[in-house]
Amino acid sequence: MKNATQTEIEEALTCQCGCGLTVHSCNHVQCPSGIPLKQEIATQLGEGKTRAEVLTYFATKYGEKILSAPTTTGFNLVAWVTPFAAVLAAGAVIVVVSRRWRRPPSAPPDSRPAPIDDARRARLEAELDRFDA
Amino acid sequence: MVDLGLLSLRLALIGGLYAVLAAIYGAVARRPAYARSARQAAYAVHALVAVAALVLWRALVTRDFSLEYVASYASSTLSLPYRIAALWGGQAGSLLFWALILTTMSTVVHLQNRERNAALMPYVTATLMAIAAFFLGLLVFMTSPFERLPVPAAEGADLNPLLQNYWMLIHPPALYLGYVGCSVPFAFAIAALATGRLGDVWIRTTRRWTLFAWFFLTLGNMLGARWAYEELGWGGYWAWDPVENAAFMPWLSCTAFLHSVMIQEKKNMLKMWNMVLVLLTFCLTIFGTFLTRSGVVSSVHSFTQSGLGPFFVAFLLSVIAVVAGLVVWRRPLLRGENEIDSFLSREAAFLFNNLLLVGIAFATFWGTVFPVISEAVRGIKITVGPPFFNKVNAPLGLALLFMTGVGPVIAWRRASARNLRRSFAVPLGVGFATGAAIFASGWRNYYAVVCFSLAVFVLATIFMEFYRGTRARQALMGEPAPRALANLVGKNRRRYGGYVIHVGVVMVFVGVAASSAFRLEEQETIRKGDVVQVGAFTLTYQDIHFTEDAHYSSMLAEIAVAKNGAPVGTLFPEKRFYKKQQQPTTEVALRSTLAEDLYLVLGSYDDATGLMTMIVFVNPLVNWLWIGGLVMVLGTVIVMSPTAAEQRALAAALAVEERGLEAALR
Repeated sequence: MKNATQTEIEEALTCQCGCGLTVHSCNHVQCPSGIPLKQEIATQLGEGKTRAEVLTYFATKYGEKILSAPTTTGFNLVAWVTPFAAVLAAGAVIVVVSRRWRRPPSAPPDSRPAPIDDARRARLEAELDRFDA
Repeated sequence: MVDLGLLSLRLALIGGLYAVLAAIYGAVARRPAYARSARQAAYAVHALVAVAALVLWRALVTRDFSLEYVASYASSTLSLPYRIAALWGGQAGSLLFWALILTTMSTVVHLQNRERNAALMPYVTATLMAIAAFFLGLLVFMTSPFERLPVPAAEGADLNPLLQNYWMLIHPPALYLGYVGCSVPFAFAIAALATGRLGDVWIRTTRRWTLFAWFFLTLGNMLGARWAYEELGWGGYWAWDPVENAAFMPWLSCTAFLHSVMIQEKKNMLKMWNMVLVLLTFCLTIFGTFLTRSGVVSSVHSFTQSGLGPFFVAFLLSVIAVVAGLVVWRRPLLRGENEIDSFLSREAAFLFNNLLLVGIAFATFWGTVFPVISEAVRGIKITVGPPFFNKVNAPLGLALLFMTGVGPVIAWRRASARNLRRSFAVPLGVGFATGAAIFASGWRNYYAVVCFSLAVFVLATIFMEFYRGTRARQALMGEPAPRALANLVGKNRRRYGGYVIHVGVVMVFVGVAASSAFRLEEQETIRKGDVVQVGAFTLTYQDIHFTEDAHYSSMLAEIAVAKNGAPVGTLFPEKRFYKKQQQPTTEVALRSTLAEDLYLVLGSYDDATGLMTMIVFVNPLVNWLWIGGLVMVLGTVIVMSPTAAEQRALAAALAVEERGLEAALR
């Protein structure tokens, strides 16, 4: 039975065997990377280190690429912020543009029927047919 | 025989290039004879590619190990279905398979449009054949499937054991049909831009093709997830691997297009945006292919480093250049009658739905390429793995789920207070009640609580639509309830088929949320007779069995399963060892119910000590993910099935277009 911190750290590290999964998810038989890493995590936790300290230890020892997600400092913040910034910016664009698309409220609604083209007439007839059916 | 394959590919390349030139010349110089000739050439290219594929299939089936491809991806003990599937198991074969699907679709498109779309078709021919020529060029000059070995091999290296799973037979073809299907709407979009015929016709003509592509993209993604779930043995189904992302992104942009195109059809809005989405979807399919074959990002799916990357980049860049040029040139014609009266309207809801779909696609793209960006900027390689994608996409996904409930029922133009009350009071009520009930019962996983509440909200809006529609028909037509319901769906297939798809989407969300938030997991090393308790399950390790044949050896653990003390059966998690590739695979044992999956993995077994390591997962509600996928597929079938009214609308639009064309030519 593992404790929660161990699992959390396993999830935060990438297995180096090429499976592309986190250390926690890799289940290769006798994985040359995953199994020693799991033991190393346990040893580090056994020394009384916190989650953050253990992760720092691994990043220092194996390089930053062992972390399964970018850190939240420095340039790596760009990774985290950009998707939300892009969605918010695009949302703002939608709001601004569609305000411009809004018809002036003072203009009286056009009460004359719009001229109807063939496609629409066909659709209208089809819908009327369906209604009669 | 092999020479026939080689010759066919070369002739097909020449034919494809000829078709591109003849079609464009025919259109520009108004010489219909050349356009017709290009069409014939396209048929010939299809036939030649089919011959090449048959030759390769024959070589695989007859185990012709004088071919490098066959020797690399098949073996004497590989069974027939996998020898057939080996056509898409390796680099060159899968490119040939791609070309086969593309040219087949080209033939279908040409047959469908023999008598119509005379103005668009030459450019459609040119576009489809240009794409085909790119793939054929790779096959002829870069990576031939018909390469001979200097000395025929005595035995083949075999197909990668992970691919020797029945999903291999249908997952790649489904995904490829989806990928390549996106080429058809793309070709019509290019034709519409080139001719300036940016009205209704190209959109209506390609609607079913877009749905077809979406259908197979959905199916392909789902089958891929299922494959991972059964074959990789880590208890999950989606690892945000670059190649999974590559299949997911075009699905997202295609989904966005299918929604926003309705706004164009109804309100003549968003012409430019729809054009961008069609083009983006196609570019994402090419980008996905590039990812799998370039080795730029590491992935479990990567074909071995092949040196094809630069060609895909060049192709992608030229596509983007052509597309951008055409769009800028035609910008005046792409102005729609954009009008939004209120943010509380269906138009606005669809805009935000598009924002979220494309936002998720962008976040996924961003995470996939960020390692490359990081290395370029800081010189440090980093990993962007599942935790990143889950954290970033979960809030966006939940917002999207909310919009799934809002979009289809909010009123056009401006929702009145009455419309809002009528459509949303009850669903919001039951949604909140669900959330409160779950929270009160002690669950504190906020994402899951929000997800379940939203799921109930969306289902309630959909249920009310069906209920009110059925009641209205009962009252108006005097039909009994079952017939009223059947007619309601049958006469409005797009709308109610769409609701069915949404029900599937809700199921997928529920399955994903429950199985990621409340999964139980246990790893135990045990001896015969030992008992493991996981949640409600009691597992007794009874025995281990060994079997062996020429292809692989296998061990199966016999595990007696009891739930809440009552025996429910025996499971056999298996470990195989494939002899040719010297590689083990896990074959998980599943006990699947609507409530949860019990998922057993045989980790390892030590003969000397008799110790067996078993990994146990209990994945709650995960079955709803697969059922949801099936429901989405079923809904798409309903949406796709033709209705007379729709045929008439297309015929009318075409008639207008043809009349204009005749006038122009006169």
